[in-house]
Amino acid sequence: MAKQTFTVGQVLTADQMTSLQQTAMGGGSATAKTASYTLVAADAGTTVIMNSASSTTITVNTSLFAAGDTVFIVNQGAGVCTITAGTATVSTAGSLAMSQNETGELYFLSTSAAIFSEYTQSAGTGGMTDIASGSLSGSALSLTSISGSYKDLFLVIRDINLTNAVGVSATFNNDTGSNYLNAGIATQVSSPTRTAIGSQGTNIDLSQTSFATGDNNNSLQLRVFDYANATSGKLGRYQAGFTSNANGKYAIDAGVYYYPTTAITRIDVSISAGTFTGTYVLYGVN
Amino acid sequence: MKKIEHNVETGEVKEVELTAEEVAQRAKDAIAYAKAKADEEQAAAEKAEAKAAIAERLGLTDAELAILLA
Repeated sequence: MAKQTFTVGQVLTADQMTSLQQTAMGGGSATAKTASYTLVAADAGTTVIMNSASSTTITVNTSLFAAGDTVFIVNQGAGVCTITAGTATVSTAGSLAMSQNETGELYFLSTSAAIFSEYTQSAGTGGMTDIASGSLSGSALSLTSISGSYKDLFLVIRDINLTNAVGVSATFNNDTGSNYLNAGIATQVSSPTRTAIGSQGTNIDLSQTSFATGDNNNSLQLRVFDYANATSGKLGRYQAGFTSNANGKYAIDAGVYYYPTTAITRIDVSISAGTFTGTYVLYGVN
Repeated sequence: MKKIEHNVETGEVKEVELTAEEVAQRAKDAIAYAKAKADEEQAAAEKAEAKAAIAERLGLTDAELAILLA
């Protein structure tokens, strides 16, 4: 319910009481906007829902609200909605820009000053969410139906143990075309030699060499940057370490450029012979 | 031959048989891997042989050659 001026002896209706209760519980009547909007006095105590695919603003002016008034704001649309100081002052400890599905509240300190608090916001930079984890078995792992909700993907595989001395490779979107450019360096630690990695192939050659069998102390990680974009190729970076293989202790630091512009929704990790065990975690990174 | 299929959206994890295409790809990968490994070993052997020939021509021991190349 918008802010009211009640009078002595006034009888409230059931609808008014329901609306008041809703407002008291943090909801309140909502007005949907599809374009930039300037708040009016009647918005006090209500919820303004912005729903626009384009960027919008909600402007705050003076002499419309009293100290203690609040306006709840929801950005439902894909366009960023920015709370903008018109003639009033708007302060915040965070951001005045609200991405899709973010919510916040304007609290008026006076008729000319308000504080904006975001109740929800996107995860900050570096936030990692475990979106798939489990144990390896058989000859491959397919991670399918990966949503585009994150900035990067980060796959970690630990304690890899193989029945055959083979390498481990990965593909995106089940694509086995010659679309992967691997480049980096592999270092044999026990008898130091460094080998440049530089090849165009049908997969990401995560191990570059064969693992020894019966050794659990091997790890791989693969990070894919901006995996959900559908307009350019994808850059990835991978590291691997093996305590024992045909060449002794081994470490790899390399990158991959995947040419196709399709968003990545699937990652496969496989070996060319035998079976493997180990554990995997796929993180979505913001 | 089986693999783990993990649907990230639903969280469903199941063990499934490799498709015919995946089995064929696995065979191709095995051949490519064996060839790459053989090529790598051959290149390493040729390099070692060439190094030894140069060392012999210069009259250097392996230790002296290692110091020069370090």
